[in-house]
Amino acid sequence: MFADRRIGLALAAPAMLFVGLAFLLPVGILLSESLHAPSGWTLSRYITFFTDPLSLEVTLRTLRLGIGVTIVSAIIGYVAALAIVEAGPQTRGRMTALFVLPMMISPVARTYAWIVLLGRTGLINKAVVGLGLSDEPLRLLFTETAVFIGLLQLFLPLMVLSLTSALENLPADVIPAARVLGAGWLTIFFRVILPLTREGLIVGGTLVFTGAVTAYITPAVLGGAKVLMLETLLYQRVSVANDIATASVIAAILIAMSIVTHSLIRRMTGMRRAA
Amino acid sequence: MSDPEFLALRNITISYGRSVAVDDVSLTVPQGELLALLGPSGCGKTTLMRAVAGLLPLTQGGIVLAKRDITRVPANRRDVGLVFQSYALFPHLSVFENVAFGLRLRRAPATELKQRVDAAIAMVGLTGFESRLPRELSGGQQQRVALARSVVVRPNLLLLDEPLSNLDARLRLEMRSELHRLHRDLGVTMIYVTHDQAEALALADRIVVMRAGKVAQSGSPEDLYERPTSGFVARFMGFENILGVQPDGLSGEKGMLKIPTAGLTDARALAWRPQNVQLGEGPFQGRVIGASYQGETTEYLIESAAGLLKAQASVTAPRHTVGENIAFDLPVSRAVRLLEV
Amino acid sequence: MIRIAGFSVLGLALLFLLGPFLIIAGAGLSAGDILVFPPQGFSLRWYAGVFEIERFRESFLLSMELAVGSTALALLLGVPAAYAMARYEVPGGEWIRTIVTAPVIVPAIIAGLALLRYTVIPLGLPVMAALVLGHTALVAPYAVRVVTVSLTHLRPDVEEAAILLGASRTGAFFRVVLPNIRNGVMAAFILGFITSFNQVPVSLFLTGPGVSTLPIDMLAAMEFVYDPSIAALSTLLALMSVSIVLVAERLLGLSRYV
Repeated sequence: MFADRRIGLALAAPAMLFVGLAFLLPVGILLSESLHAPSGWTLSRYITFFTDPLSLEVTLRTLRLGIGVTIVSAIIGYVAALAIVEAGPQTRGRMTALFVLPMMISPVARTYAWIVLLGRTGLINKAVVGLGLSDEPLRLLFTETAVFIGLLQLFLPLMVLSLTSALENLPADVIPAARVLGAGWLTIFFRVILPLTREGLIVGGTLVFTGAVTAYITPAVLGGAKVLMLETLLYQRVSVANDIATASVIAAILIAMSIVTHSLIRRMTGMRRAA
Repeated sequence: MSDPEFLALRNITISYGRSVAVDDVSLTVPQGELLALLGPSGCGKTTLMRAVAGLLPLTQGGIVLAKRDITRVPANRRDVGLVFQSYALFPHLSVFENVAFGLRLRRAPATELKQRVDAAIAMVGLTGFESRLPRELSGGQQQRVALARSVVVRPNLLLLDEPLSNLDARLRLEMRSELHRLHRDLGVTMIYVTHDQAEALALADRIVVMRAGKVAQSGSPEDLYERPTSGFVARFMGFENILGVQPDGLSGEKGMLKIPTAGLTDARALAWRPQNVQLGEGPFQGRVIGASYQGETTEYLIESAAGLLKAQASVTAPRHTVGENIAFDLPVSRAVRLLEV
Repeated sequence: MIRIAGFSVLGLALLFLLGPFLIIAGAGLSAGDILVFPPQGFSLRWYAGVFEIERFRESFLLSMELAVGSTALALLLGVPAAYAMARYEVPGGEWIRTIVTAPVIVPAIIAGLALLRYTVIPLGLPVMAALVLGHTALVAPYAVRVVTVSLTHLRPDVEEAAILLGASRTGAFFRVVLPNIRNGVMAAFILGFITSFNQVPVSLFLTGPGVSTLPIDMLAAMEFVYDPSIAALSTLLALMSVSIVLVAERLLGLSRYV
């Protein structure tokens, strides 16, 4: 530790000023718009937003998809992470890399694949028609299911990775110990594994949830105008009607959710450091 | 020893907010001396050393080195070397480049640089290891590189911060004599910070014992070993039995041993090493509650009216067993008189 | 039994994550004019053809420039900040950290809109400048975090040793600190590059007529292009990311910093 505060401050100042002026200031002004109307400070923009049936529907759908994707990825995530941890250390590293890789690939490319799969002439519809399950191709694209699948593919790796690291940090032998005591697999999961990996679940869960709730590309490509989420609604309102009132309220909702979840993560990781 | 005040620390105080780490310390070091700063952790010795190096600002006081007031001279222009407890080698540089670092900054000509670096590496016995990286060396070898790196630039003053504390016992002894030889060969003034009194006694020309930010006592190793003036220094030097002088006897943590103390009124307390406690006969009664055989000697823990005492007897003396009641003596003639408890 | 079930779920999860790439890679190999899987015939014409589409070529170059430029800028801002927070007692250090890492918390589309309305339009900034502002702010937190991680692996007394040997503060930084956090800085550059290159939402509002990033162009093209060219392009982009990451993992141990 060097004592000279002025040098430290001078080194940190450019980054702080840049982010503060070029980022936080405009975002702050946008947020303040949500409490603003020609008449002065007011909550009327929130009231308008939450009484509008479409906005309300989109908000609820966004939450529904966020929660749904989080729960499903937690279930798949636990099974996958347990299998990864069961495997030897070398396989474990390779498996982890396989889950890291897709996160580095353009989400546009990742989402585009589903058009090929779910489209009218896509692989799934060909199979469905070919097997005679349906005379006509099913409408799979531009449904909530399509968006759900796309989001799950985008964010599942986050859950698997945080659960894997939580399971790796599990004290050795607790699972064999529980089995020796005669516990069944469900008992072991709910009484031993779940309580001991709760942090990992919360960290993974918040990452998946915020990711899904603030997604743009997936609902834009797989949901279109029929299945709007908060971000696609924001984009549509601004680009079609220059509707800053709605945009600022959506911004406030998303940022509020994001702050809550991030402080939750920080609390959890802080607790682990303290323990 | 040409200059008796080669390094002079004048009324140095260093505080962080409210806590005072070094409290009005003054001391002088003659040129060529090896001074040990001895004390338990938290006594301020490392803080004082870092301040001398220029890594910490003084709250008050001044430092003069080689007739130059360096109080406000930045650390990189003080000509003070420091061997860190962690060695602090540059992980990305080879042994040669680690040692050459200071000379390169001083723009030494290539031939002179090579010569001096080679000599420094040879001096610490690492010839042949020039191209190794620090992580490829053992702890003892890293220590040698750190030494060579510090002395190659010929600093006015070399500071060593607990340099042997990360080595195992055998290496520590070996490095101790190595340091001694280096000091003799180079004649550089050194301040050696340690919490290990055996190290300080073996190496130093003079020892300064620090306690709670102040100098508790300073003197030659013999002075400190034979004639500590306070209970704190006495305990550090192995006087394990310290009893206060009262008008009618000697007081310990539990109670009193009654003896006439008329001739002792100038002392606040008396201190005995374990080997100076006489077992088997004497005016006092105690009970053996612990005995540990150590080969040449046996150590006994004696419960007395004053509290626990530690005694040591040679193999030739009669053995005592735990639980045995025993007579003992604390001969005043073999005690050290302390002015402070 | 349980073990077999576990491994099959793991396998299915990986198929779910990676399978679609195989499908678009395959669809891009089609000889026909329509996007289908399995492909009709086999040819590399769509892969080769991607480079002929001028629009994609232009936006690819722009995305490259943008990613390199804004990541470099973010590092220029982020490395000193991370260093200051790791080594100096900066007054209000926690606040600084919160401010510098705040862009992670704000959804990018909102940042893009806010930047457009309250910075770019009032100041009359050109599109490229606007994009650099937005992308730099988004990448900066990663730069700070990754560099902080590698600084924690370097003991501060190594710098003190350099200073006592005669180096200035700045000299100690360039001679001792920088060479030792080089891998971290490079890892930060790669992560920042990929983040910026793949970034869509912040650019949505900031791109303008004739100036667009590659992912934005691809999104737009999806609405009217039905031939396999986008599939081929997506595959190539995926391969690019994967090879960058694999090389970086080999050389730098990238995953330590993610």
